[in-house]
Amino acid sequence: MESCLAVERELDRVLAKFNGLRNHSNEAVEELIHSLQSICNELQSGQDITSTQSAILVQTVKRVRDAVQRVSTEHKELHGSVSKVGKSVDRNFISDFTAVTPDTFENAKNNNLLNEVICEHFLRQGMLDIAESLTQDARLEVDSSRKEPFLELHRILEALKQRDLDPALEWACMNRDILIAQRSSLEFKLHRLRFIELIKEGTRRQKEALSYSRNFAMFGSQHARELQVLMGSLLYLPQGIENSPYISLLEPMYWEEICDVFTRDACALMGLSVESPLSVGIRAGCKALPPLLSIKQVMQQRQVASVWSSKDELPVEIELGKEYHYHSIFACPILRQQSNENNPPMRLVCGHVISKDALNKLSSGNKVKCPYCPVEQISTEAIQIYF
Amino acid sequence: MDKEQNMADVKSLEHPTLKVPYEVLNKRFRAAQKNIDREVSHVQNAGNDFEKCLQKSSVSVGEVTQAIGNMVEKLSILKRKADESLQHEIDAARVIKRRVDHLKEVENLPDSAKPLWHKKRLDRMIVEFFLRKGYYNSALKLAKHSEIEELTNIDLFLTSKEVEESLMKHETSPCLAWCHDNKSKLRKMRSTLEFNVHKQEFIELVRNNNRIEAVRHARKYFSNADTVQLQDVQKVMGLLAFPSDTQIFPYKELFDPGRWHILVLQFREENFKLHQLNSTSVFTAALHAGLSSLKTPHCYKKDGDGKSSDCPVCSRHLNEIAKPLPYAHCANSRLICAISGSALNENNPPMILPNGYVYGFSALATMATENDGRVVCPKTKEIFSLDDAQKVFVM
Repeated sequence: MESCLAVERELDRVLAKFNGLRNHSNEAVEELIHSLQSICNELQSGQDITSTQSAILVQTVKRVRDAVQRVSTEHKELHGSVSKVGKSVDRNFISDFTAVTPDTFENAKNNNLLNEVICEHFLRQGMLDIAESLTQDARLEVDSSRKEPFLELHRILEALKQRDLDPALEWACMNRDILIAQRSSLEFKLHRLRFIELIKEGTRRQKEALSYSRNFAMFGSQHARELQVLMGSLLYLPQGIENSPYISLLEPMYWEEICDVFTRDACALMGLSVESPLSVGIRAGCKALPPLLSIKQVMQQRQVASVWSSKDELPVEIELGKEYHYHSIFACPILRQQSNENNPPMRLVCGHVISKDALNKLSSGNKVKCPYCPVEQISTEAIQIYF
Repeated sequence: MDKEQNMADVKSLEHPTLKVPYEVLNKRFRAAQKNIDREVSHVQNAGNDFEKCLQKSSVSVGEVTQAIGNMVEKLSILKRKADESLQHEIDAARVIKRRVDHLKEVENLPDSAKPLWHKKRLDRMIVEFFLRKGYYNSALKLAKHSEIEELTNIDLFLTSKEVEESLMKHETSPCLAWCHDNKSKLRKMRSTLEFNVHKQEFIELVRNNNRIEAVRHARKYFSNADTVQLQDVQKVMGLLAFPSDTQIFPYKELFDPGRWHILVLQFREENFKLHQLNSTSVFTAALHAGLSSLKTPHCYKKDGDGKSSDCPVCSRHLNEIAKPLPYAHCANSRLICAISGSALNENNPPMILPNGYVYGFSALATMATENDGRVVCPKTKEIFSLDDAQKVFVM
């Protein structure tokens, strides 16, 4: 925030000065023109100039020359304020991040892959024209079979946003088996919304509502409670749901929820991530760059070459937050190293987990004492575990 | 913490967002100064004439009114020009101001509105990436669609598009005009672009057998070359002695039409430098940092069974792109249940099945209640009783 404010302060100063100078010089020049014209009007035509008049004129000319010179000088003096803006941008923002990007990175193959990722990102958001234009600009060849699922997803989602349940219901029906295997509640929730739409109309469509409720039969076991709530609401149709204890059924939240549920379940079904991988990657990068930049500074001071060249790991741990944890990581608490295929995690008999290398180091003969509890055991009894 | 975080990323990522429009402002300032100085000197000249006129022994009113009229006219032009120039400068400063406002916005946004800001940021980054790659159409469309035209440096790149396209058509005048436009800055950077363009013009003249004209061209542009360039000049002058289909090194090379492309690249680079842009885009820098900080060995297990469909690094193309990047550094264990995806901790303790696989207690318990106390390992499909699962302790 400080950095933005600093730039803003300088900017406001410059803007104020520009505006001030503009008004001021406008007025000054206007005034000069005016006084010249009034002198002109006072002169009688056809006569010669008297010496007094001449003296006044000489003075006026001098005044004009000084004044215009001042306009130029005053503008020149603004240079300091203008360049202060630039300096404060430089001071408050980091200009050079080349050191934290690997230079071996740009090649034709990666370029192409990246363009495809971007293209998919736009398809996913339904920004078809931009995806199309990128395919042309970058001469991509996107398989239409890759496009299809995104297009369908987007079409159904758009319909849901317009509160049209039909395409989603149709889709859920078609994929019922897989959805059930996924324990998805999508279809039930779609039916529920349709049912709510019916009971909203009061007794007028209660028959319809009743017969629609048969659709719930197959969800009886999984959604018993919610089902009871829905059927209970039928009691209040004469006075209207909005005047009943069931008013919460009308909340728009259900519509917002259905979009999320649909996206999540449909993506899972198609093996896609819920969010565009590109958005997640960039968001993570925006969090990761600042610590990488600061470690770069430290490393440069100690003359360590580059953040990327060091090893096969980043030099610092970057805490992105829980939502970015997709895989289990086991770091040996003894050796402070991530486990890998050669150094897998081992569970001791007592239940504590350390890495294989640590186990070997701690063993004497074939015995080992757990570093966390008093249990002595035989090292070969530890078993490898998989997260 | 979150606030600091937010501002830290603005600080690290947004330099070009502000610096490029600043360079525009700076340029407009210098142009304005020039304009004002020119008009001021016109007024001064009119003043000089007037004074001379007054010094004469006898002056008629007619002469005086004419001189005054002349001055008034010059003053009005000055007034107009100064006003225009200042308006230009104010416009340029306001562009920066709007961008600062947009950047500032993120701090006070409620959490629900942040995703939209982040989406805009991603779109801004992609627009810049497109522009750098020369995908001008896509960049324009995207900027328009996301209403971020004012927040991206489109104008800068569109000018360069014109110049680049003309260079590829072997036309030099737009590039030379650009050089002239940015003369003082280029000189400060010790740019050789203008010299190289003139050199190319010379080569083209020789290629077309217009050798007399070539000599004239050389006299005009090369005579004040400095010592470093002198060698270059001598080399190209050597061309005069060879036919354009010569096979002799280095002259054959000089006739290579591929040199135009090199000029385009040089122009692009100098244009970036002029506006203090990095040679890599923010987009790629952020993507690399992000992928690296997300990358785990699981994403690259041979049989692919460690993959998670939500992990960006596991996704099809990004997996390939992230290959040469370093893994995230992780000094502390963080465990996730492979069934439910939720974190393993004291509320959802990790349990080991007899085959060595670890899952969260909650997920196993749910599965067991639905299956008469039995659980199926999703990885190996082996069936166990929940009672056989044992606790593991991870420090």
